[in-house]
Amino acid sequence: MSREVPPEVLAELRASVRSLRRELEQRFGVGEPAAEGLAAPDAPTGAEPASDEELLAFEAEPPPPAAPGWLGWLRAELGARLEQIDVVQIYESLRERVALPSSGDISAEVDDFGLDARYLALARRWLDWLYDTWWRVDVSGIEGVPDAPRVLFVSNSAGILPWDALMIAHAVERTHSSHRRPRPLVSDWIATLPFSQSRLARLGAVRACAENAERLLAANEWVIAFPEGQKGALKPFRERYRLQRFARGGFVSLAVRLRAVLVPVAVIGSEEVHPILFEPRIVRRLIGVPLPVTPTFPLLGPLGVVPLPSRWRIRFGEPIWFDDVAPERAADPLYVNRTRERVRGAIQTLLDEELPRRRSVFV
Amino acid sequence: MAARREPELGRRGLATVAITGVGTFTGARTAERLLEGDSPPRIVALDLRLPRRLEGRVRFHRVDLTEPTADSWVAEILEKEGCEAVLHAAFFTDPHPDVELSHELEVVGALHVMNAAAAAGVRKLVVTSSAQVYGPHPDNPGYLSEDHELRPHPHAHAARDRAELERLLRLFAQRHRDMVVTALRPSWIMGPSYESAVTRRFESGRVLTLLGYDPLLQFLHEDDWLDAIETVLERDAPGPWNLAGDGVLPLSTLLRLGDKRSVPLPHPLLYGAARLDSLARTGDLPEAFWDHLRFGWLVDTRRAREQLGFEPLYTTQEAWMSFVVARKLRGYR
Repeated sequence: MSREVPPEVLAELRASVRSLRRELEQRFGVGEPAAEGLAAPDAPTGAEPASDEELLAFEAEPPPPAAPGWLGWLRAELGARLEQIDVVQIYESLRERVALPSSGDISAEVDDFGLDARYLALARRWLDWLYDTWWRVDVSGIEGVPDAPRVLFVSNSAGILPWDALMIAHAVERTHSSHRRPRPLVSDWIATLPFSQSRLARLGAVRACAENAERLLAANEWVIAFPEGQKGALKPFRERYRLQRFARGGFVSLAVRLRAVLVPVAVIGSEEVHPILFEPRIVRRLIGVPLPVTPTFPLLGPLGVVPLPSRWRIRFGEPIWFDDVAPERAADPLYVNRTRERVRGAIQTLLDEELPRRRSVFV
Repeated sequence: MAARREPELGRRGLATVAITGVGTFTGARTAERLLEGDSPPRIVALDLRLPRRLEGRVRFHRVDLTEPTADSWVAEILEKEGCEAVLHAAFFTDPHPDVELSHELEVVGALHVMNAAAAAGVRKLVVTSSAQVYGPHPDNPGYLSEDHELRPHPHAHAARDRAELERLLRLFAQRHRDMVVTALRPSWIMGPSYESAVTRRFESGRVLTLLGYDPLLQFLHEDDWLDAIETVLERDAPGPWNLAGDGVLPLSTLLRLGDKRSVPLPHPLLYGAARLDSLARTGDLPEAFWDHLRFGWLVDTRRAREQLGFEPLYTTQEAWMSFVVARKLRGYR
């Protein structure tokens, strides 16, 4: 079920756009004069065709009776500039560059959790851009990540929307030798938020819960967990890079049971993409969805959702192996608790080491 | 597509099978299938009426399961006919507008059949439930296993009744350990001839959807559904079984595959309209239906695959396409 446009159709489209453009040029005199020299039907009934400038002025606005000198100069200047602009080319290059995956660009098959390979391939351009240009992600420690069948990344989370999840997945895919793309587990409210939910699922995100994580790991997928959960993503800006409490440590027992390698990950920069000033509880209680206030968010409306371009560093820590741990210990709450705190400490240490290394938040 | 599996029932020694609700799609089709086998079992059909195409081929008894004394009638019939297995399919295919009557048939009627089967010494009881007993919830795991808690949608009375019945059935199975008690939980059934409230929602060329939600859906093809019933009648398979075609697809993809247009509406509006529209006609608030298009309720079919060897012939996509194509041929958009 490929939706590729066949080349001949594309050629036909291009030809029709070109002919339309030629007609436009003939009628309004923008661009080079028509090759055939056909008189446009709507052309003013004069002896000789009107000059370019006159027609252009007519198109822009009704010419004032007596234009001052500077206005005439501006008009001439503008006309000359406009002549050089190839609308079709701009449009095509814009389309090519933007290429937002739309609903037309989905494949007829998705995996168990809704990952759509075609959609992801189209979104990759955007993810690359966010990764390289917007956040200029700097990855370190990736060589320590083993090429094991089951790897569970555990990371700090911040920044309301799961940008960090997408970027870690992208960082692993691009820099690790196996080029595997881990599946991020995203918190409940994001996973059921209208619009974001279906897109995130197509990009590979899965709602965070023990059953889902187990199913993914059991199928030898790599998984990214954010044990802080909502508490981490929605913490106020003044608590940035302070790890919140980890949940019950389900990720530890999972890793022990399924023999997964645990890799602590520290993400620097995600706290600054949506700095939370405060998050009114009452709103969350009223509409069931947290609505944090950031310097940009309700203020600038939809524009406020655009993440700020901080500079990111993603650091992968020493992997923790559970191969010599008896699987029964997965049910031992004391052991699980201890290991959970150990992982938490490891991530906090990575954060504390990395933070002084960045010279500036945005540059 | 793989060749049709040979039905092996009858060969394994089931001589007499009773089917309640033989007027329903499931009851009638299962009866026909069993009769097509090499050594067909004797079929005892119980319902209010017999489909014409089964006339003369089954032993029909007119029974109203909503009667207060239906259990002793049914027990008498089962004993007299010497039934070894009972397939209980006497459920409304659509959520019935009369909530009381629906409860009377789907829970109390089923209870009558259960008790009658135990009294008549029937060895096996198969009940057709539904995957909707799990209910659509934002905090459902991606795939629901049979052990998951049953949390039907509070406004879907049919699913609620079915869940209550399953609870009764579990207690019943604990009390009657000599009996094989099976509950089948199919996800939405799709196919050329299956008709239900769900298929009617998807028949039109324009399908209302919830703005911003694109749930993953699973379908079970009607042939696979009948195959599953045959399998559990033929083999001893106690407990609940999730049934669904392989693979999942987002609703938007399904609609695009079926060349249908989606008409997305914001959900508060849709719920409000649904409530107004339906209070007049059915007792089932269709916001329950919309929630099934909003939150996930996918079932994990690994148990049926591994322990029962049940391999659906049709994937979710194929079940959907066979539904779409059949309706198109019949002149629906």
